Amino acid sequence: MTARFKDRVAAALADPVLKLAIDRTTGNAERKRAAAVADFPQFGAARARGQAIKDHVIAHLDHYLEMFERNATARGTQVHWAADDAEARAIVTNICLAANARRVTRSKSMLGEEIGLPHALADAGIERVETDLAEHIIQLAGEHPSHIIWPAMHRTREQVAELFKTAHQPPPAAEDPATMVQSARRVLREKFLSADVGISGANFLIADTGATCTVTNEGNAELTTTPPRIHIVTAGIEKLVPSTAHAFALLRLLVRSATGGEMTQYTTFHAGPRRTGDADGPEEMHIVLVDNGRTKMLANEFRDMLRCIRCGACMNHCVVYRQIGGHAYGGTYPGPMGSVLTPVLDGLAISRDLPNACTMNGRCAEVCPVGIPLPTLLRAWRRRSWREGLEPAPVRAGIGLWAQFARRPRLYRLATRLGLRVLRLFGRSGWISRLPLARGWTDYRDMPRPAAKSFMDQYRAEQRARK
Amino acid sequence: MSAQPKPRVGLFVTCLVDAIRPQIGFAALELLEKAGCEVEVPQVQTCCGQPALNSGNDRNAALLARQTIAAFEGYDYVVLPSGSCAATMVHGYPELLADDPDWTGRARAMAAKTHEITSFLHDVLGYVPQGVRLEASATYHDSCSGLRDLGVAEQPRALLSHVEGLNMRGLPGNDVCCGFGGTFCVKYPDISNAIVTEKAEAIEGTGADILLAGDLGCLMNMAGKLHRRGARTRCFHTIEVLAGRAGGPAIGEEAS
Amino acid sequence: MTARDRILSAIRATLGPGKPANEIAVEAALLLEPVDTARPALVAPALPDAFAQKAAAIGTTIDRVSGMAGVPQAAARYLKAHGLPPRLAMQPTPELSALDWAGITPSPQIAPDEPAALGLALWGIAESGSLVIHSGPGNPILMSFLPLHHIVVLREATLLPYLEDYAARLSPQQVPRNAILITGPSGTTDIEGSYVRGAHGPGFLHVILVSGAG
Repeated sequence: MTARFKDRVAAALADPVLKLAIDRTTGNAERKRAAAVADFPQFGAARARGQAIKDHVIAHLDHYLEMFERNATARGTQVHWAADDAEARAIVTNICLAANARRVTRSKSMLGEEIGLPHALADAGIERVETDLAEHIIQLAGEHPSHIIWPAMHRTREQVAELFKTAHQPPPAAEDPATMVQSARRVLREKFLSADVGISGANFLIADTGATCTVTNEGNAELTTTPPRIHIVTAGIEKLVPSTAHAFALLRLLVRSATGGEMTQYTTFHAGPRRTGDADGPEEMHIVLVDNGRTKMLANEFRDMLRCIRCGACMNHCVVYRQIGGHAYGGTYPGPMGSVLTPVLDGLAISRDLPNACTMNGRCAEVCPVGIPLPTLLRAWRRRSWREGLEPAPVRAGIGLWAQFARRPRLYRLATRLGLRVLRLFGRSGWISRLPLARGWTDYRDMPRPAAKSFMDQYRAEQRARK
Repeated sequence: MSAQPKPRVGLFVTCLVDAIRPQIGFAALELLEKAGCEVEVPQVQTCCGQPALNSGNDRNAALLARQTIAAFEGYDYVVLPSGSCAATMVHGYPELLADDPDWTGRARAMAAKTHEITSFLHDVLGYVPQGVRLEASATYHDSCSGLRDLGVAEQPRALLSHVEGLNMRGLPGNDVCCGFGGTFCVKYPDISNAIVTEKAEAIEGTGADILLAGDLGCLMNMAGKLHRRGARTRCFHTIEVLAGRAGGPAIGEEAS
Repeated sequence: MTARDRILSAIRATLGPGKPANEIAVEAALLLEPVDTARPALVAPALPDAFAQKAAAIGTTIDRVSGMAGVPQAAARYLKAHGLPPRLAMQPTPELSALDWAGITPSPQIAPDEPAALGLALWGIAESGSLVIHSGPGNPILMSFLPLHHIVVLREATLLPYLEDYAARLSPQQVPRNAILITGPSGTTDIEGSYVRGAHGPGFLHVILVSGAG
């Protein structure tokens, strides 16, 4: 375990308030998703269809990108392409600077986090106002998202109240979520109407119309994208779908898997800037199509991950996430999907713990609405890590030595016989409570004292006795 | 019935059962024979290779896969008292050997006849336990690999429903991982401990006398945690109960 | 080489030569067939009932009236019931402004903290209880987002069964600048996953469901 991951995990496990916050949100999410799926008997068929749609788009990605570009351009949208995060940041900040933008409102977008947009705007001297409630909370706290659907899920209502008390004028009158939501509504309302640029993400890019599709619950996205002069969308190139109907097929999966709802409150399609006679809307619309590792995934064993629609169900159902929370993962995306994506984005050398810190229990794949074989992909990273020599020397030596014995059954029996004799010396009345080379086990739990004679030895003795 | 030859079963006891709790192997042997099988225990078996497979060390995993296939492919069925080792053979071997033309067909053929024991008894043999009695309350944890990779869920429960006197209690979060995860539990002991602590709390909360599961790794993890916490829950592999062996010492108990 | 060229050539290097566009289009269309197996059944046989049930389940309130002439009274009823003054920001569309608004002062302007606004939905979707609005000269988008109380007139004749039925009514080359499906009042679960309505958009969504041709 690399030091930084170990430290982050230790900090998370030592924080009982964090655990309380995680349990409240993921517990709710798990229950609501289960109810939504139970209420949708066609879920299995819808999931197969969703997977097929994503696979189809991925198999014809160049075709759909060009089709989208053509149609978006025809609607008056300016389409930009960014090969990596740095290019994407530069495109967005340059648009803002060219427009002399002083205030930018942002509606939650994980891609924006992935490409480091918040910092880039600050570096360019532009005031950034996060308008999603959770993003507002973490902006006040100076933190990163800890969940892709509920970025502030690591904070309890009491902790949010503390933040709002100092940041909101006048401070909210009570600590209940309803009062605090009202307070944020009041504080952010004036910011919406005075922004120069609104930046959003996209859940889908509709190839045949050139529109973007974004789903939100709060209504902040519309208030972010409508009043400013300029609307910028940043989106990964894997977000394409052939048509609006295809987007709807995926939407049924996305919302149920994410929040347990059927539709988000607002499903918004944007196709270009304000038209002649329009009562409102931005004068310019820009879309930045971001690669940032996605074409690499297309070419390697992680292609299936391009199906991901960012619902967060995998993390809500992950035993590890539910113990350590999102920040311990150290990347933009946490949980099982993050453990597949972070090595792509940040490199395996600094993130090799993520694919390893998984019990391979498969619950993430079971709930994934587009059938991504997450454990298989995590195992693929482990394979690379082994091949590239990134696994720690003791692990390599241990597995190597064990394999030497396991491949020689006679030697293995001999070693087992000897090992059992030694192991039993550490035991008292059936249990071993401290074992020098297995402290990871015995620091926390007892180990059953092994048998005096192995099964194979007992069995052979019985066989001989029978004859 | 007698007209048909007995199915020949190769029993893979698994490395953990071999070393830690041989009773499970004998329970398997007994049940399979009772259910009408001719059972053999090939001596070439060691470990299915899962530790290497899950560590990304495919080379060693593939070597063990070949060794195991060669030893077991002659049987009508390969049966294991473990969902995760069975899943390694059913899904892992064909994947590991997919690019090896000499072995890929053999791996797939073996995968097709490999079974976790409770699903084999229930689904393939239609076995119904008879005359097994245990006056106790018990709760059942669904070990992940068996549940998700092999669909082992109803079979153990159906078999256990024939044990007279056994009162099964639902375990909240029965399908949530116990935090064992093979090498995971020693590579990331703090996280594993946090997970198994919640599992132990849930088990204790049922008030059941006995915890049952189908994988010794998970059982050792849960039993070890329960014991460390001072809980009195006794832990057995499902098939020990089915074979009428739950009168003997539970995991961590020694015959007096 | 531009980023565009780099991205597209990387994709093509992996995927190889593409299929003809018409073949891809056929393949894409087939992915949605048969449509009924992968979407939920309507909760009631009649579209207005199905719509009303789904809308109510997500916190939308419904008032069913007969004929457009009943809309002003229904709006007045709503305002009164919520203790609001008889004032409305109103979407500047002839179908609404042609009605007799005696007793209510409609305004085409909307203030940032407008208490109540009234609009007309283009379509309603029975599957999900959603309302469809499109931007355009007769419909400022902010009219649906700034007020605390959003009242939407929906004619039963414009009810569609499923999301796909709405998609089928869009001509790809003539999509609106901004199309929004509104499904319930604004809400958030961002604090501990507990649901609070009225996050940034309207905290109250009220549908006046109009039967009859009028």
